[in-house]
Amino acid sequence: MAKRPSVYPYVWRLPLLIWQGLFFIGPLCLMVAMSFWLVRNYRMEPDFVFKNWDRMLSRGFFWDAYWVTFLRATLAATLASLLAFPASFALAFRTSETVRRWAIFFLIVPFFTSYLVRIYAWQVLLAGNGPLNAILGLVGLGPFTMLSTGFGAMVGYMTLVLPLVVILQTFSLAAIDRNLIEAARNLGANPRATLFQVIIPAAKVGLIIGFIFAFILTFGEFVSPFYLGGSNPPTLSILIVDTTKSGQQWPRAAVVAVIMIVTLFLAAFAAVAAAYRRRS
Amino acid sequence: MTASDPLVEFRSVKKSYGTFEAVKGLDLTIGRGEFVAIMGPSGCGKTTTLRMLAGLEAPTAGTIRIDGREMNDVAVHERDTPLVWQSLALFPFLNVKENVEFGLKMRGIGAQERSDRAMLWLDRMGLKGFETRPIDALSGGQRQRVALARSLVTEPEMLLLDEPLSALDAHLVIRMQGVLTKLQKELGITFVYVTHSQSEAFAMADRVVIMGQGEIAQIGKPQEIFRAPQNRFVAEFVGRNNILSGEVAGGAITIDGVTCPLPGAPDGAAEIVVAADRMTIHADDPGKGALPADFVSEEFAGTGIICYFEGPSGEELKAQVSEAQLAELAPEPGRRFWLSWAPEAAHSLTA
Amino acid sequence: MRPGPLLSWIYLAALFAFVFAPIVTSMVFSFNSDRFPTVPLGEFTLHWYETAFARAEVWTAFRNSLIVAVTAAALSTALGFATAYTDFRYGFRFKNAYLALALLPPTIPLVIMGLAMLAWLSRLGLSGTLPGIVIAHTVMGAPFAMAICRLRLQQMDPSLEAAAWNLGASPWRAMGAVVIPFCAPALISAYCLTAAVSFDEFIVAWFVSGLNKTVPVMILEILQGNVDPQINAIGTVVFLTSMTLVIVAQLLLLRKTAK
Repeated sequence: MAKRPSVYPYVWRLPLLIWQGLFFIGPLCLMVAMSFWLVRNYRMEPDFVFKNWDRMLSRGFFWDAYWVTFLRATLAATLASLLAFPASFALAFRTSETVRRWAIFFLIVPFFTSYLVRIYAWQVLLAGNGPLNAILGLVGLGPFTMLSTGFGAMVGYMTLVLPLVVILQTFSLAAIDRNLIEAARNLGANPRATLFQVIIPAAKVGLIIGFIFAFILTFGEFVSPFYLGGSNPPTLSILIVDTTKSGQQWPRAAVVAVIMIVTLFLAAFAAVAAAYRRRS
Repeated sequence: MTASDPLVEFRSVKKSYGTFEAVKGLDLTIGRGEFVAIMGPSGCGKTTTLRMLAGLEAPTAGTIRIDGREMNDVAVHERDTPLVWQSLALFPFLNVKENVEFGLKMRGIGAQERSDRAMLWLDRMGLKGFETRPIDALSGGQRQRVALARSLVTEPEMLLLDEPLSALDAHLVIRMQGVLTKLQKELGITFVYVTHSQSEAFAMADRVVIMGQGEIAQIGKPQEIFRAPQNRFVAEFVGRNNILSGEVAGGAITIDGVTCPLPGAPDGAAEIVVAADRMTIHADDPGKGALPADFVSEEFAGTGIICYFEGPSGEELKAQVSEAQLAELAPEPGRRFWLSWAPEAAHSLTA
Repeated sequence: MRPGPLLSWIYLAALFAFVFAPIVTSMVFSFNSDRFPTVPLGEFTLHWYETAFARAEVWTAFRNSLIVAVTAAALSTALGFATAYTDFRYGFRFKNAYLALALLPPTIPLVIMGLAMLAWLSRLGLSGTLPGIVIAHTVMGAPFAMAICRLRLQQMDPSLEAAAWNLGASPWRAMGAVVIPFCAPALISAYCLTAAVSFDEFIVAWFVSGLNKTVPVMILEILQGNVDPQINAIGTVVFLTSMTLVIVAQLLLLRKTAK
């Protein structure tokens, strides 16, 4: 383009900066600032004190919640990665392009159905006298207590992340150069060796991305642990909701939120480092 | 040589991207009604030159004039320099006729006139009956003609073409060359044609500009460039040339101990060029003025056969022969031949 | 021999059964007469739809959801398209930071987003209002719209826009005559998808909505009470609404990319 001052590029560039600055960065910064504020007589007052941080970090219940959340998210991400892999493998290597495309489509569908209604459906399905126990009863098993347990929460977590992990894994597996696999077979690698020596290393980035997405989503999840996991022990997100909704203690909730963001940031950073680490 | 009635003038035009100089001080005049081809290897600055002419890139220094008017601050859409793109850049969501009408529409021309003029050009390009076809239902050659019609419908004084034939099959290329040459003669407008293909440039252009590393290496008629390359870069780029270095003394050059006449050359070290089709192959040593050369291989090249030899100091030598000649020589790899050329076929390089 | 394809198909079927079990059950139970459903199923009934949609607040919630979704989707799509176009067309300093800003919102947990939005919007006097929810949903929807538009622009010949300028179109006219028509299918599907996202989002909406509840916020509050199959009825309607949007979006995307 001939050089001439023009507003044209800025009309496209600035809206995002303005909008996200005003309604994304702004709120997040306010939240961080708020964690140093004080609540007096049910009103927040701007301040710069570490009282909220002290209060939260010195309490056992906060750390219990932190580790429950962290371990559950790690478990959920691991479980989702393992459960998804055979399906992704089948979609990537055993099905036609058309089947794969439709499978991906049907895995995207759940994202646009009400997650809340799905969790409610699980609540009904897993109930003590619900359909699942009734079916198990027919073969002489149970009844099992599935609601308000870690198992219940895990079912919810899988409902949330499994489709996404399958999609991410399938894309990374399908992108592997077929010649690589054939070359490995040609050089005498058995299917098992091919899987562990060739396919998994080649799809490493996608597998790690699937894992970390599952971790991020379950770490911040509120509905599953609350309605299926019985909110006992509470997770960090339940803590935030309780503190904000009932206690009016926004600054303390902000402390929890900041710690969560820092944790997620570190986890994402570690994942990226692991994904792109040079193979020695 | 300069054009008598200049339409385009580049004066000391430079274009750099950061520290990389794509075009270094270009001076070029293009005449009205001229068919100029700008040719060179990829990265030589030929496309940048064309894009500057269209206003898609701004020169870092220097001026570009079109019809005497300085264009540096004229925006792309305010110029009348339609370009035929390498990718053709036809609008996929418009049909054939809507594509052709696009430029007229942008100039605010009414629907009826737009339609009439578009139809005229579609007819002229042999695309009658294709008006309402979507672009992706056309063949490569048809798309090419839609792109031409789209650029010419506004009746510009100049048409820019950026490697427009590079995506076509070989047989279509020849046909489109004919279409383009005829069109240019009929319209009498200036064509500036960028290509890396010699055959296209030499077949169509009145003048060829050879560019290398952001500079003009030579400008001239196709024949001049082919027969009298001015420097090693052009001689190598134009291809099928033998470049020989030797020592000139008293109107003769000595190459690898073999002396051949080179009338009028100043004494000292020199490089000469002999085109492959000017080389004569001898099965026996003709006595004087012939370089001994060992046969390496032959290559079928459409118009003849190129025989490759290794000279006395290991240099590659080429000679073009006909099929009949080849059969007569019946060369085998490693066999010794002698190559000679008429004194007037040799041409001294300046650099 | 490698494990037969049959095993693969069984595994895939099991996975899809798990993914679709809650969706299908909620639809089935919405027509089932039992308050506490189990197998065997009770009788077919429209009772839950009748009770749910006899309530004025359900209609209000649908109206709210619709207003929010329609507005937030329009803003998200506009914002997403502008950003995608900027990324496609221009290189500039701090572009990585710019893109991070554009794509970051979905990585922030919803409860945190809800808290931050609640605090910020209260200070602006917008918490508890529909514009407040629209603002939050636009922040969350814009990255999706950006991704969809960016993928479409990726398929555009970069010379296409320049060809329009070359034929006499100013940058603005080239945008209107070439870039937007080219991106039309992506814009429509981005609109549908962001509308669907907004229509289903409940955590942030729950934090900032106050008395102006959207449908999923209402479901959330019913859920906090007791098991109530009205949720299935409302959920099924919500599901069909979102699915219509998603399928329209998907068809548009598939039709265009298949070429």
